[in-house]
Amino acid sequence: MTGFVDLYTESNTFLHRMDPRVKILAVLFLSVLALMIGNLEYLLILLVAILLMLVLGRATLAKTYFAMKLVLRVMILIVVLWPFFNPVGSPVLFEYWIIKITEPGIVTGIEVAVRIACLASVWYILMFTTTQRDLVRALVKLGLRFDYGLTLSISLRFLPTFGSMVDSIRDAQRARGMEFDRGSLVRRSKNYVAVLVPTVVSALRTADTISLALQSRAYGARKDRTYLRALRMRPTDYVALTIAVLAVALPAVAKYVLQIEL
Amino acid sequence: MIPRPSGRADEDCIIVAHDIKFAYEGGIEALKGVNLRITRGEFIAIVGGNGSGKTTLAKNLNGLLRPTSGSVDIAGRHASKLTVAEIARFVGYAFQNPDHQLFSGTVEEEVRFGPKNLGATDAEVARQAEHAISLMGLGEFRAAQPLSLPLGVRRKVSIASVIAMNPQVILLDEPTTGLDAGEIVDLMGCIRALNEEGHTLILITHDMRLVAQLAKRVLVMASGRIVLDSDREGAFADLEILRSSKLEPPPVTLLAHRLSEYGIPRDVATPEQLVDCIVPARGGRR
Repeated sequence: MTGFVDLYTESNTFLHRMDPRVKILAVLFLSVLALMIGNLEYLLILLVAILLMLVLGRATLAKTYFAMKLVLRVMILIVVLWPFFNPVGSPVLFEYWIIKITEPGIVTGIEVAVRIACLASVWYILMFTTTQRDLVRALVKLGLRFDYGLTLSISLRFLPTFGSMVDSIRDAQRARGMEFDRGSLVRRSKNYVAVLVPTVVSALRTADTISLALQSRAYGARKDRTYLRALRMRPTDYVALTIAVLAVALPAVAKYVLQIEL
Repeated sequence: MIPRPSGRADEDCIIVAHDIKFAYEGGIEALKGVNLRITRGEFIAIVGGNGSGKTTLAKNLNGLLRPTSGSVDIAGRHASKLTVAEIARFVGYAFQNPDHQLFSGTVEEEVRFGPKNLGATDAEVARQAEHAISLMGLGEFRAAQPLSLPLGVRRKVSIASVIAMNPQVILLDEPTTGLDAGEIVDLMGCIRALNEEGHTLILITHDMRLVAQLAKRVLVMASGRIVLDSDREGAFADLEILRSSKLEPPPVTLLAHRLSEYGIPRDVATPEQLVDCIVPARGGRR
């Protein structure tokens, strides 16, 4: 839990100002686009465009590195393993016993890796440039029940609190002579019970308090909610939405109507 | 009982801190050079406002935090060479929130967890757990589920689970938070008994009434430094230091300060002491 990083980076770029609903839809469209394209060159162009947007959204290097570390690991794994498990087509580059590696196999592996990079980083644009509050508000506006939206935002808000609680619990058990990285597997898993139980119990006690606090502030007293800050679409938001729609619609028409290979 | 430290002149010195400094990640300097000698059998209160460095100091004394500079000796050995579990044999630490510690199905199991971790034999574990349970007066809750007990009892269970490891030093972090007057009196009796048994006690608190009733030595902390290290009476006499460290002495001490022009000493900590001063028939104070 330690090392939890809120990805949102405070700034005032066009991506920050964009209506969060438009951003969610645009990210969805771009994800569809990444799934639709089957050509390595086009996929690379898409990846560069997405990374460019990350840069324009003023994502700091440290945070980008933190976010992309996991994606990079998955990418390397795919590039290395894919050819072994999908030896299709020709030319065959290497064959020994049951191991066979083909050129199309390697290319497909790279394609899949780049596609996954596109899918991950496009969502990072959203996370980097949208506050949790805006994100939840947009989801509610897009049709999510307010109860669920509130639950989501409270969960996000309590992640760091929860993290420091787990740290404190670990410290308390270490002070009782417990060692996490020693002993047999059985002993170690027993040790985790000593952390897990207090964590769950404390979390439930916290949840109970929060629900009482919400009720005492008249949560749910009115069926029809009003909002302090209304989301309003501005002309630039419509432009952005149009571009996002076109970005996915034009290739879709090309591929499925005109039967052009992408 | 507790292995004697070897190769040191003053065997009674259990903890020595040499000019320790500590900074949290992010650069907040919580300790700005603390020197401290603690001898066996002492009863020390570390007092100070919130954020003065009390808990940080305590965690540096049992290895949960390691000083950024300076060093800590525990029972004559460099703490930097000991793991937290090894230090736990000498220094027990009961956390402020008992719920961060309790996880077992019964009080008895809970109390046995610590000594088991330290590798005690079954017979030793049983004996030490039994001793801790009786000392904290938890006999009737032996088979109860710790997490379902009232806060006052939960706190006693968490302290018992530390005592069961038989550490020479016992650190108690804010043991009275959230307890009612009855529970506090009860707990104070248990804590006093521990000290009388020979354990060194370090009490972290900002409840000055608790300090007045229990401690023999008081360390006042403010912004990462020990600003006063004296016996209890000395600390209560220095109203200025206490107030500037965001502490409020008990009313009886304030009364004694008001009455100082009538010859009442300023270092009164308890009602009994004041009575002794006012009623000469009782044969002077202390």
